[in-house]
Amino acid sequence: MSETIIQVRGLVKVYDELIAVNGISFDVKEGQVFAFLGPNGAGKTTTVEIIETIRTATSGQVNILGLDIKKNRTDILRRIGVLPQEFSSFDRLTVRETVQYYSRLFKGEPDIDELLELVNLTEHRDQLYMNLSGGLKQRVGIAVALVNDPEIVFLDEPTTGLDPRARRDVWDVIKGLKKSGKTIFLTTHYMEEAEVLADDVAIISKGDIIAHGTTSQLIDQYCSTIHVSIRGAGPGVEEVAKNLGLTLENRENGTVTIEASNNDQVVEILNNLKARDIKYDGLDIRKANLEEVFLSLTGESLTTGGEE
Amino acid sequence: MMDAKLIYANLIMLLKEFHRNKASMFFVLLFPIILMLLFGFIFQDQGEMEYDLLVQDLDGGPNARNLTAMINSTGLFGVTDVDPSEEPGQYLIDHKANAMLIIPEGYSDQFDAIMLSRTTGLPVNETVSVKIVYDPANSAAMTKIGILNSIIDGVNKGASGAPDVLVLEMETTVSDDFEYIDFFAPGIIAMSVMTTALFGTVGMNTELRQKGILRKLATTPLSRSEWLLANILYQLCMAVLSTISILLVGMGLFGLRPHINLFLPLFVLLNVFAFSGIGMLITRFVKDADGAQAAANAVMFPMMFLSGTFFPLETMPDFLKTVANFLPLYYVNEGMRAAMITLDEGTLMTSTVILVVLAIVIFVLGVLLTSWKHD
Ligand SMILES: Nc1ncnc2c1ncn2[C@@H]1O[C@H](COP(=O)(O)OP(=O)(O)OP(=O)(O)O)[C@@H](O)[C@H]1O
Ligand SMILES: [Mg+2]
Repeated sequence: MSETIIQVRGLVKVYDELIAVNGISFDVKEGQVFAFLGPNGAGKTTTVEIIETIRTATSGQVNILGLDIKKNRTDILRRIGVLPQEFSSFDRLTVRETVQYYSRLFKGEPDIDELLELVNLTEHRDQLYMNLSGGLKQRVGIAVALVNDPEIVFLDEPTTGLDPRARRDVWDVIKGLKKSGKTIFLTTHYMEEAEVLADDVAIISKGDIIAHGTTSQLIDQYCSTIHVSIRGAGPGVEEVAKNLGLTLENRENGTVTIEASNNDQVVEILNNLKARDIKYDGLDIRKANLEEVFLSLTGESLTTGGEE
Repeated sequence: MMDAKLIYANLIMLLKEFHRNKASMFFVLLFPIILMLLFGFIFQDQGEMEYDLLVQDLDGGPNARNLTAMINSTGLFGVTDVDPSEEPGQYLIDHKANAMLIIPEGYSDQFDAIMLSRTTGLPVNETVSVKIVYDPANSAAMTKIGILNSIIDGVNKGASGAPDVLVLEMETTVSDDFEYIDFFAPGIIAMSVMTTALFGTVGMNTELRQKGILRKLATTPLSRSEWLLANILYQLCMAVLSTISILLVGMGLFGLRPHINLFLPLFVLLNVFAFSGIGMLITRFVKDADGAQAAANAVMFPMMFLSGTFFPLETMPDFLKTVANFLPLYYVNEGMRAAMITLDEGTLMTSTVILVVLAIVIFVLGVLLTSWKHD
């Protein structure tokens, strides 16, 4: 079991009237990718920025790297790396100059070219920040977050607004960071991002952590439905579902989806299809995802819930 | 094609935003109010607007008294008599005045003699002069000379035509090596350094806040006072650039020949410290970009109007003159002028001391009041 590197207890943040974070507690383990998953306005940024010591909590305890956020601000800052939400940098510095500028703030002398290699920016090193695409800008932000060789890297929505290709590139960078032994605190409202990257997921909604665990734990616990989609099935499928007492959904494109609640039921569905000699064109068996976990927990969808 | 509905919807949205942005609204409203007040006070008693004029009567004869009475009767001047024993140039400096009319000894007799000779038909190209000693740096002095000239014209017309009897000689309080431009240069430098430092700082910091860069900086070991100082130094570079270009253009095109000494860079430095510092404080308290701009305007305009650069303080109501004494730019102006033209040590010292204290106060406030956590 790895060590706890961030410990949050009873964290509360109130803005004027609004309770943005409502007494949450959780631990982050060393060397893991911890994903803070929640819709817009859930309180993700508020929470990470309190841990990063740049916002002040209303109440509660936070310990990071064995240090109290209230007392050891500068020590903490030297040992963490931060990619703020909607990272942006000086328009008229090149990629290399930007990374260099930030490394100077930490008075360190990292190998900048190596850093740029790490985030795949070597070929863009002399381009002005303002001329970069969104994905490249985010990677600059990640490089900047690494200038002090931090033990923990905070990435606040690193892929929001990126196209799928750019998103995957950023994911690759994050996987690389994990491999190099860094702890990663990732906030996101993309369940896929959490599923692909995270060892540990906390789902936050309206200031409360409503579920916490590994992706498969969460799915097993909150939404064990297995979707069996049958494409181009002949008559009699409805009968199969009915006999087994399962819900069946008819899609317009001729696909029917039967929702099984465990593996045995899946096998039974398939056996029934065979026994009744029902022909079909294609078969797809899919476990529930975090999106559905969130839906079943809150009755809202992850991407449209909260305030967009 | 323009869609009126869309325009209307946008208008409403913008008005709503404005209405919901308290800081921006405050300053947007405050600004015209300040301007209104300023101009209102400046012009409310225009009919009675009166310039001060020092008169040193070295003659004391009836014609001299006549001239003084005539000047008085125009209602444009409040005349103050100066003892004949005073040295005019020094007196002006000591009393922070800008113009003194000197009626020379023997004026009355000479005037009578000329008038007599004219009636008897003897040669008439003799004249008698009065002298004005003035501070050419001061625009009020120039106005006064204009008014005096028209009064003297009146005297000449009254004295039965022919060549003029009375002549106004002019003498400046500073050496004649200086041209008119020399007296404007210090004010222009002070003004432009102030504007760049103030607006440069406010503009840059609001932009960086909007882009979230200040939030990123908050996660680095960079301290707020380091950032403050870096900003001030950056603005100092800007100020040095603009000062040099003003001097170069002035020297190259207008024959500007100011004294150049260490006080010039010193006042530029203090100017930047004060106004860049004020800019940092503004961005600390006014988070919104438009609001911060408006706040900077609210700082700039009183300085522009009341520190004596472009508008003579003399004609303003007393309390505005008092206000001027609390404006940093007033001391920058005074100091720069002393450094580049008059070399008056007293002014150099007072301006330096006042500005150093001010710069320190603003810097300390900047360090104490601003913290990354507010960004
Ligand atoms: N400085 C602030 N002052 C007042 N309210 C705030 C402030 N910052 C955030 N909030 C409010 O607190 C709530 C949580 O905001 P937060 O930014 O932490 O959410 P988030 O989960 O990061 O959302 P997003 O996905 O949009 O980034 C929101 O309702 C937000 O409007
Ligand atoms: Mg956020």
